[in-house]
Formats: sequence, C-alpha cells, structure tokens
Amino acid sequence: MSEHEAATHGHADHGHADHGHGDHGHHVIPQAKLLQTFFILMALMIATVVAARLPYEGGIKGIPSAIAWLVLLGIAFWKAGLVVQIFMGVKYSTKLTKLYAYGGFVWVTLLGVTLFDYATRQLEPVQGWEPVAESALPR
Amino acid sequence: MAAHAHDGHLRSPDMPEVYPQFEDIDQQQETYIVGMWAFLVNEVMFFGPLFFIYGLYAWKHNAVFYVTSHHLDYKIGALNTTILLISSWMVAMAVHYHQKNQLKKVCNMLWGAAVCGTAFLAIKLIFEWAPKFDHGLFPTPGFQSRYLAYYGADTNPDVARLFFSMYFAITGLHALHVLIGVLIFVWLIRLIKKRPDVITDYVPTEMVGLYWHFVDLVWIFLFPLFYLMPK
Repeated sequence: MSEHEAATHGHADHGHADHGHGDHGHHVIPQAKLLQTFFILMALMIATVVAARLPYEGGIKGIPSAIAWLVLLGIAFWKAGLVVQIFMGVKYSTKLTKLYAYGGFVWVTLLGVTLFDYATRQLEPVQGWEPVAESALPR
Repeated sequence: MAAHAHDGHLRSPDMPEVYPQFEDIDQQQETYIVGMWAFLVNEVMFFGPLFFIYGLYAWKHNAVFYVTSHHLDYKIGALNTTILLISSWMVAMAVHYHQKNQLKKVCNMLWGAAVCGTAFLAIKLIFEWAPKFDHGLFPTPGFQSRYLAYYGADTNPDVARLFFSMYFAITGLHALHVLIGVLIFVWLIRLIKKRPDVITDYVPTEMVGLYWHFVDLVWIFLFPLFYLMPK
C-alpha cells in the first residue's frame, strides 16, 4: 500500500470536474500506516520507561544525568515527530500547513534559547531560598 | 440544502459546499487546517514556556527534583500514556474513515477516544491527585511541614513545593485540555449524527483530531519530564 495513496472521495462522479472542485484529492493515510505508527509509539513508550531505569555511568562535562536526559528527550522528540508527521498528517499536507506547523516549534525553540540566560547566572538571593547544598550541579 | 451562491450550481448531497471566498474545495480545506494550526501554535507557545520553566528548575535543583519526582508513580504515568496513544490512534482512524465517508465508523472511533479521555482523567484524579491531596502535597501554605510529616526529611521541602506547584499547574492544564477534548468529541458525534448540513466533509473531524493529537503531544513530553526524571 502506498504512503501517498490518495482517495478521490467519489466527488468526481457528480459532473463537477469542469468547475475545478470535482477532482480534488486529499491524502488518506492508510490504516496499516496508522496502526504501524501506533505500535512504534507504544514501543518507544516502553523504551523510554526502560531507558530511565538504566544505570548511566559518567555523564557529560560533570553533569551526571546528561546522557539519561539526552536519551529520554531524544525518544520524546522521536515520538512527537511521529505524531506530528503521521497522526496529524503534516507529512502529507500542503506547504502552507507545513510552514505553520513547523514554524510554531521553531518559534518556541527560539523562546527556549532565552533560558540560557537564567540557567547560567546566579539567582537573586531570597529569604528562605538560600542555595540548596545537596544540588548535584555546579552553580 | 444551501446553494452554491458564487457559481449558481446546487451542490449534490455529499459535495462539501465551497464558500464564495474560496477558489475551490482544496483551498477551503487548507484554510481550515492552517487556521487550526495557527491556534495550535498558540498552544505550543502556551505549554512550551511551562516546560522551559520546569526544565530550568530541574536543572538548578536537580537532586531535589530527582527525589521528589520519585513520589510520582511512573506505572500510572505509563498507563495514561498508553491510553492517550490509543485514543490518538482512534482519532487518526476517525479522520481516515471520515475521508472515506464511513460515518458510523467515525462515530465509533470518536466514542472510543472520548472513553479513553475519560479513563485518563479518572485515573489521574483517583490514583494520582486524590492521594496527593490526602498527603497534603498540594502547594498551599504549610506545605513544607506536611511534606516533612509525610516523607520525612528526605529532601529540601521548599524545592519539593516548587516541584509540586509545577506538577499541579502543568498536569492540571493538560487535564483541562483533555476534558475540553472529550466534550468536543461528544459535540462532534452529535453534529455528525444530527446535522449533516453542518458536517459536509472530513475537515471538522480533522480539526478536532489535530487538537487531540496536540494534547497527546504535550503528554509525550510531560511523561518523561515528570515521571521518569533521571538522577
């Protein structure tokens, strides 16, 4: 079954084709593709639970949980990509739809970049909010 | 039945009406889908910063967040993830059937998704929030002493309070979206059954589907960030 299988919806039979809106076709994502996507998502869900329980030795640049975070977020982005591309059908949609769909995620990423500022400087001291001694991270 | 005002043709019963401002049905449907995505971009900008704030504090207070996040049961989180993934698949199938004009199957799939959404909320409420309210873990004044009484001095209760504030804020907003989604499913099923003049093609189902997949998307990030926090 082709991924790009298009259904013509049966409208072309009504003699409207000469008016320009009888021959439209939108992509019907095949049942098999949707089921396959669901099973991949389930497998990734199980993988993420298992991955969170693995012992990670070392870490990166003194951050002990860095590898675990990369694995967990990597799987999360993989799942999100499948949902957006297949279930939400962005892969099969028009260029304008893609612009809106991807644009939002690009925009929120730019917003997230501003957090480097907060992440890399000292928080202002607040009564009762003294630095936490047991924090694992250098600050 | 409404007439095609712009070209003077009556539309056939299963032909979606093209409104006069659109060139053709493709442009009309694209406009609806793009409009829905414009709304979803708003939602992304709404949930995104909440996750960023959580990420920032998880970074600053890594050890405390690790201990506190283990008061959440990842098995319940995994069960709810499964339920949402099933519901998302059902909604995708509903769109598939609507494109093939099999309305009975569309309604069945939408009902299935509504049941999944309700189950998600019930599990969240009964097995997650209710015990936390019982243990006094809702971040109201006196949280710190209640936390110490329940869990002992296993970590910094000030930061634990921060964790639970964000836990209730983000899962609460997500649950509100699930609730709205379930209500929209029921409303859409009713429209499909009673108002064939309103639901003339698959686009309403597609738009509701996009919303529901977004709700699933939020949970896909929420689950590892809150329930599976690494040390």
